[in-house]
Amino acid sequence: MTSLHRLGAIAMLAIAASMLPHFATAAEPKDKATMAGMSAMGKKARVDLGSSAAFARDGQLLAVAKQGDHLLLYRSRDQGANWSPPTIVNARPEAIAGDGENRPKIAFAQDGGVLVSWTRPLAKPNTGEVRLARSDDGGASFATPITVHRDRQEITHRFETMVIGVDGRIYLAWIDKRDLESARAAKTPYRGAAIYAAVSDDGGRSFKPETRVADHSCECCRIAAAVDTDGAPLILWRHVFEPNERDHALAKLKPDGAPAGVERATFDRWKVDGCPHHGPALAVAPDGTRHAVWFNQKNGEGRAFYGRLANGGIEGQRFVGGEQAARADIAVAGRRIGILWKEFDGERTQLHAEISEDGGASFKRLTLGAANGASDHPRAITFGKDLFAYWRTELEGMRVFRLP
Amino acid sequence: MKRLFLIAMLLACGTVFATAFLALDRSSARMLTDAKAHTRPTIVALWSTDCPHCKKNLELFADMVKADAGLRLITVAAEPLSAEVATSLDRVKVPGKRYVYGADSPEAIAFALDPKWRGELPRTLFFDGRGNRIAVSGVVGIASTRQSLGLSDPR
Repeated sequence: MTSLHRLGAIAMLAIAASMLPHFATAAEPKDKATMAGMSAMGKKARVDLGSSAAFARDGQLLAVAKQGDHLLLYRSRDQGANWSPPTIVNARPEAIAGDGENRPKIAFAQDGGVLVSWTRPLAKPNTGEVRLARSDDGGASFATPITVHRDRQEITHRFETMVIGVDGRIYLAWIDKRDLESARAAKTPYRGAAIYAAVSDDGGRSFKPETRVADHSCECCRIAAAVDTDGAPLILWRHVFEPNERDHALAKLKPDGAPAGVERATFDRWKVDGCPHHGPALAVAPDGTRHAVWFNQKNGEGRAFYGRLANGGIEGQRFVGGEQAARADIAVAGRRIGILWKEFDGERTQLHAEISEDGGASFKRLTLGAANGASDHPRAITFGKDLFAYWRTELEGMRVFRLP
Repeated sequence: MKRLFLIAMLLACGTVFATAFLALDRSSARMLTDAKAHTRPTIVALWSTDCPHCKKNLELFADMVKADAGLRLITVAAEPLSAEVATSLDRVKVPGKRYVYGADSPEAIAFALDPKWRGELPRTLFFDGRGNRIAVSGVVGIASTRQSLGLSDPR
């Protein structure tokens, strides 16, 4: 029992230490942004590892991650072997969501602008605003962040995703509870939350009023996005189909953000009144094939799946990895497809990949690395014909693996 | 219990309160969910502050435990300790021992609690006190809870 006691004491010390900044900032002025930041600091004692990375056109790799109430932008000229000292995205501190499902995002506008989006948690639990900051100098400095939606109620506008259409429009889609809140006020039932989207046609400097994409999304899973072969954005999210089937839905967005149609994308029929907190990923091949990975419980077993979304059904649905496979991501570069996932092996978290050279007809499997501590979800990213895994882990930092 | 810690937390609003929480690591998580260690009907309720559905289970379990002294409730917040964890439990007056995730890898703690659990919440482990354990994801009702605990039908 003494060793257990010691373990417990260490855990207690860790908790106490992690709360020190909370005590330290408690006497700060009651500025609204500071208060919001404090509540977020209190919420997550552990380092929020949620992070994203993307290659710029010139081959530099840019990554965003939060540190306290700031988002930091890191840059690598050697595909992640070395990182520059960070620059600050939001000069003014504010609360930032930084978990794996609700991480900051980075993308590039067609005019070269660097765009960073994130969810800013508000004081009430599970509320937030979708924020975006733009840089005109490659990420050296950022304009003041904007809130992309007009609705400013202190409710859920969280779990945003960002995608750039071939026409240069910036699309942000997120989970929004305004319709749920209205239904609650009217004492009428409402399943889940809703997906809303807003569009910018000036490179992310401003957004048109948001529009509803779909009622009845699930409440706290990341939204996947990809650009279809016609240049329009596709989004894939966990939906709540009647009565409580937490499968996925797919929509193509029109230039105003409204859906060109919403269709059911997966058919695992996971009936649960609960929060999977485990969103899908989507990649579209040049031939139009929609490759997806997702998590569902099917026949009583929670598994990661791969499949091709086609004609209102799925082709080639199969497991990804073993029983512990989780947090799968997918990217496509020409005929190449890369699937990544994490798998806890009883001691450590392994990062695995499957690579296809033939558009998904066959895959080979390999293990990329492992983490002893906590880790973010792996992110599949591309540069030209190359596929990469970007993985931020607690003990090792920001890691990049080039898929062979 | 020796491993019971009193942790005083200062809320952003300035209120001071003290609540007992235990920080889990993988070995204490394994012990907590060992069916042989439970000699009476016990509910181990996994929940988190960002799971709206979890509140329904916590309310049900709190009511059941208050009505039946032979039943035990243990809560595990699948996140580090925060003011929100404490207030969420206090708000619905959830009794029983309270655990949070400690400094160990979250995946290791989750695996030790329940290797079949993939992070969905609420997740509940029901122990009948006779060495059996049943795990259920999602919101549950009183009848299925009693059945999972090996209890007779409601009187």
